[in-house]
Amino acid sequence: MEILLYTALFSPLVGSLFAALFGASPKTLITGIVTSALLGVSLIASTILLVHVITTGQFVQVELMTWMATGDLYIPFGFIVDQISVTMMMVVTLVSTVVHVYAIGYMDHDKGFNRFFSWLSAFVFSMMILVMSDNFAGLFIGWEGVGLCSWGLIGFWYHKESATWAANEAFIMNRIADLGMLIGIFLVYWNTGTLQYHEAFAVMPDLDNATLTWMGIFLFIGAMGKSAQFPLHTWLADAMEGPTPVSALIHAATMVTAGVYLVVRSNELYTLIPNVGLFIASLGAFVAIFAASMALVNRDIKRVIAYSTLSQLGYMFAAAGLGAYWVALFHLMAHAFFKALLFLGGGNVMHAMNSELDPFKMGGLGKTMKGTMILMTLASVALAGIFPLAGFFSKDLILEVAFVDHHFIIYGVLLLTAGLTAFYSFRIIALIFHGEDRHTSLGFHPHEAYKFMLIAMTPLLILAIIAGSFKSTYFEYVTMLLPGTEYHVHSAATYWIMTIGTQLFVILSIAFAYKKYMCKDIKVPDGTSAMENSFKYKLLINQYYIPHFYNEYLVKSYRALSTIFWKQVDQKIIDASVDGIANIFYKTGKNTRTMQSGNLSTMLKWMVAGTVVLLSLAVVFGLAVRHSDEIKTILSGLGV
Amino acid sequence: MLDNILSILIFFPALAAIFGFAVHKDSMRAYGVSVSFIEFTLALMLWFSFDSNVSGMQFMEQLPLVPAFGINYILGVDGISLFIVILAAFFTMIGIASLSDTKDVKNMIITLLFLQMTMVGVFVALDAIVFYVFWELSLVPMLYLIGAWGGPLRIYASVKFFLYTFTGSLVMLVGMLFMAYFYFQATGVWSFAILDWYRLILPETFQLWLFAAFFFGFAIKVPMFPFHTWLPYAHGQAPTIGSVILAAILLKMGTYAFIRFSLPMFPDAAVFFMFPIAIIAIIMIVYTAMVAYAQEDVKQVVAYSSVSHMGVIILGTFALNVEGITGSIFLMIAHGVVSGALFLLVGVIYDRRHTKMMSEFGGLASVMPRFATIFGIMMMASVGLPLTINFVGEFLSLLGFYQQSHILTLLAGIAIIVGAIYMLAAYKKMFFGEVTNEKNRNLPDVNKRELIALVPLVIITVWLGIYPKPLLGPINNSVESVVQLMHDKAITEEAKARIPNLIEGIEITKTTDTEAQ
Amino acid sequence: MEIGLNHYLVLSTILFSIGLVGVMRRKNLLMLFFATEILLNSVNIAFAAISHYYGDLTGQMFAFFVIAIAASEVAVGLGLLVVWHKRHNAIDLDLMSTMKG
Repeated sequence: MEILLYTALFSPLVGSLFAALFGASPKTLITGIVTSALLGVSLIASTILLVHVITTGQFVQVELMTWMATGDLYIPFGFIVDQISVTMMMVVTLVSTVVHVYAIGYMDHDKGFNRFFSWLSAFVFSMMILVMSDNFAGLFIGWEGVGLCSWGLIGFWYHKESATWAANEAFIMNRIADLGMLIGIFLVYWNTGTLQYHEAFAVMPDLDNATLTWMGIFLFIGAMGKSAQFPLHTWLADAMEGPTPVSALIHAATMVTAGVYLVVRSNELYTLIPNVGLFIASLGAFVAIFAASMALVNRDIKRVIAYSTLSQLGYMFAAAGLGAYWVALFHLMAHAFFKALLFLGGGNVMHAMNSELDPFKMGGLGKTMKGTMILMTLASVALAGIFPLAGFFSKDLILEVAFVDHHFIIYGVLLLTAGLTAFYSFRIIALIFHGEDRHTSLGFHPHEAYKFMLIAMTPLLILAIIAGSFKSTYFEYVTMLLPGTEYHVHSAATYWIMTIGTQLFVILSIAFAYKKYMCKDIKVPDGTSAMENSFKYKLLINQYYIPHFYNEYLVKSYRALSTIFWKQVDQKIIDASVDGIANIFYKTGKNTRTMQSGNLSTMLKWMVAGTVVLLSLAVVFGLAVRHSDEIKTILSGLGV
Repeated sequence: MLDNILSILIFFPALAAIFGFAVHKDSMRAYGVSVSFIEFTLALMLWFSFDSNVSGMQFMEQLPLVPAFGINYILGVDGISLFIVILAAFFTMIGIASLSDTKDVKNMIITLLFLQMTMVGVFVALDAIVFYVFWELSLVPMLYLIGAWGGPLRIYASVKFFLYTFTGSLVMLVGMLFMAYFYFQATGVWSFAILDWYRLILPETFQLWLFAAFFFGFAIKVPMFPFHTWLPYAHGQAPTIGSVILAAILLKMGTYAFIRFSLPMFPDAAVFFMFPIAIIAIIMIVYTAMVAYAQEDVKQVVAYSSVSHMGVIILGTFALNVEGITGSIFLMIAHGVVSGALFLLVGVIYDRRHTKMMSEFGGLASVMPRFATIFGIMMMASVGLPLTINFVGEFLSLLGFYQQSHILTLLAGIAIIVGAIYMLAAYKKMFFGEVTNEKNRNLPDVNKRELIALVPLVIITVWLGIYPKPLLGPINNSVESVVQLMHDKAITEEAKARIPNLIEGIEITKTTDTEAQ
Repeated sequence: MEIGLNHYLVLSTILFSIGLVGVMRRKNLLMLFFATEILLNSVNIAFAAISHYYGDLTGQMFAFFVIAIAASEVAVGLGLLVVWHKRHNAIDLDLMSTMKG
């Protein structure tokens, strides 16, 4: 089994290094094929491991070598394949294999073809480290590694100012959260004496509540950054500057779910501190509706899908925060499939439309792009949570969790969000594929993507459809490790009312979206309509003015403060005072050199004066020493 | 030969430098490379014959100089100094090998070899006077390097560098003399041997004053805020090789001296000054990182980033536990490798364009992809990405200090954010975007000679990031003995509590003794 | 009235002051040498007197040393003076200002 574990882990690295060898040379198809094949190998190895874990119920744990050891600290490169990590491994390898194959077609004409595959495989490797590590330090390696690859891939088209800006924004924002994560790791180490998951979690029940709360909070801050939770969410929408396969793999299916994975992995910690859990759930619910609201009006298909991702991450955190870790993980898995599918479909559309992203400029694409239309529609259906697709099983479960745990506000918010989700998903479907042809007049001549790209997407489609049927198997094996609370509404009647009600609500939202955006007179908005000038619309399209706020107040003031520190403080105060002290000596020298007039007579006079001063000093000190007792008494009499 | 290897390591380059005057200037480069290569081989031999299970000094040498005053020529290395010595030999070799075409190469190589003598001398000296002599001597070759081969402001920069650090070390010398005098009063014997001084337990007030005197000398050298202003000038004006050696080795003298002198000699004072120094370190980290962000000259960005990283080293040192001090020593080496490499990289672009202004560049990633890749790796190492050399040091330093203070570590941790900000911003300005300046359109990528210097550094950066154990092991052993010594010597209650006791058994018997009383 | 130590010391002080004023005021190099001689000899008087007072010969020996050194100093000084005079045809102190700082 160990060899399988290493195969699963290191084949993406091998692929990445192989592609990196050709990094600077023009496109060589072989890099794409080799990296994809190696990911396939990783996928197969993960599948065998999955079967092993399911059938035997045991996990595989290996220690590759020591990483850091000093004092009492001992951090190995240790890897574990248990029920949680094997689920993540399956998601990561499966989606990334699909995305790799897809990207061979998508990046067909790109100059940086080889570089792209090198980065992409490096990302998969980092992600595998993240999910397979058996300690917090290893997790952090993967954590930063995916951040690095995300930086490289968002800024892949580095000649574009917006892309590099978004890359830096993503990296720096993640770093803010990573600080929280790092502090969380320090807390774990100094309180439990180890960073190994199971040893640390074993000690945690004995610690006092305040420590555990801080631990939970700081680790969650780390999760907030990677999973783009409010207020660190702005980078995710900007990250859409990267190539679309990147968005599908990193910013939908895998990296952004790392935060959820962290919370699920630390379930033993979060079970001990339900207050923090409730906070996580509330923040998750808030982000769910907050992001969904921004998705309602956005005119960039990738950004809409990004907000949808954000919103679904909110769902996952809501579930995890309420203690339903297995539900969160299940939704993570289902979401990865249909969201990656949705993004890749979006990529097809983008390709067809020469990178045009405004759905209002499309319309009627369904005629030329039938395959993509079917894929994206099904993915949206799954996202909306319609029976019997994957979203139904996972998302409804989260609603049930909130309901059963009597968190009705969270339940209400999430329910409302489900409606919004259905609306915005089908808003873009309707705008892109249905209705009148608006693109021909703008000079676009769309074409369907390569066949093999569509074929590559089908595994995701199948999983998006059938993932729900794995629920019972999944529940069985994953609850060997996670708290296996079953969430059942007490009375059957309530359950049916809830389920059917939700379904109806969602279907109505879809119908409304179709009705609103299929009509004939859709025009490309030009900022004149009443709706576009309403306050609500402006608030939403400007993302609640949060990026504006960050840019105007945080970024600019940081830059201004830096300049002040440099020009005013460093040069005018600190350095000037150093030079000032040096100048005192220079000046003294300059002024006293006139004494050296060279005239022997004056010099003799100075000599005599000096002798007199020294002699009198000698006399004074001599007297002072002789009469020191008297001087002391006089001084003490004066009260000194 | 191994018995005198340290003396050979010190004086071989100096001797070679003297003979260097006789070498013809066309063959000087080859001569310099071979001398520094032999020196590096010797340093490696030192490492291989070094017993990493021994925590104390090894390869000790002793010769009387002024026996009446206990001044002896004592050398020795332990896990703390070993790797800095190797680093010094390594960087001199790399530096000479990658030397670009400069005027008067012959004299520059001679200067570098003399500089190497002083650097190795500082790190292996175990007698305060010998240490002081090498410490001061190291200023002279550096003064020449900046003053003779520097930029337009070179005279100002070199004089400032010399006088500033010299002032600090004079205060340190006074401290040393007092220390020796106290030792004489306590034992009746004069001694300047550091190992003898370790055994002396001073009253707390004495410790505070002596600590302050030593601190002044070390802090300027490090350089710590607010004594750092000489550094940007020195780096800004120095030739590439000067900056590389300055950042990689010379700055480490200060932090090394803290661990060699201040901590084991004045444990109570170290605990007393721990929080003020930590606050200075945090100011260093955040403030200079912000200043670095405002820079327009890429070399200044790297220069200020050095100060920022030195802050983390100081913080780790004053964590006063094994994790922190080991981390800070590792970070010294890591920072040496990474900042040395960054200065070399800046030198590469300076050789091509004769400017270091970031506004002159842009879009270099497409013109010089190899250069961009190496720069990117080094930048990420500087930012402290895991699996690069810097991360190990930063992680351990911060982890160590976390035991002493939560809040201060949180503040110091801002390093990982602000570090990313200035580095990524600089990288973006230089490498990303379209090529706007016509002069940049046809720049040649890194050539073979530059690769000879850069590739080993990249390999070390990644190798030690993944597998730091060969270094951490010996460092850890020596640090443990230092920490134990500090704990045993500490007088005040607070110091006893702050400095961990590594041999638990002794503490238990002591407490039972007091209970019995 | 017997002439005691104090008288000698007073004489020595007076001579020393005269010498000191001479050193400060005189502009002629030759006169400066005279003033220096007066200074040295005033000290010699004090040495001899104190030596006699304590009955210790060290002081008188010291006076001889001073005389010997003064003699050699004057010899060197006059030699220089002669050279200077040959070059510049003057021995005015105000003209000797080449050591200006």
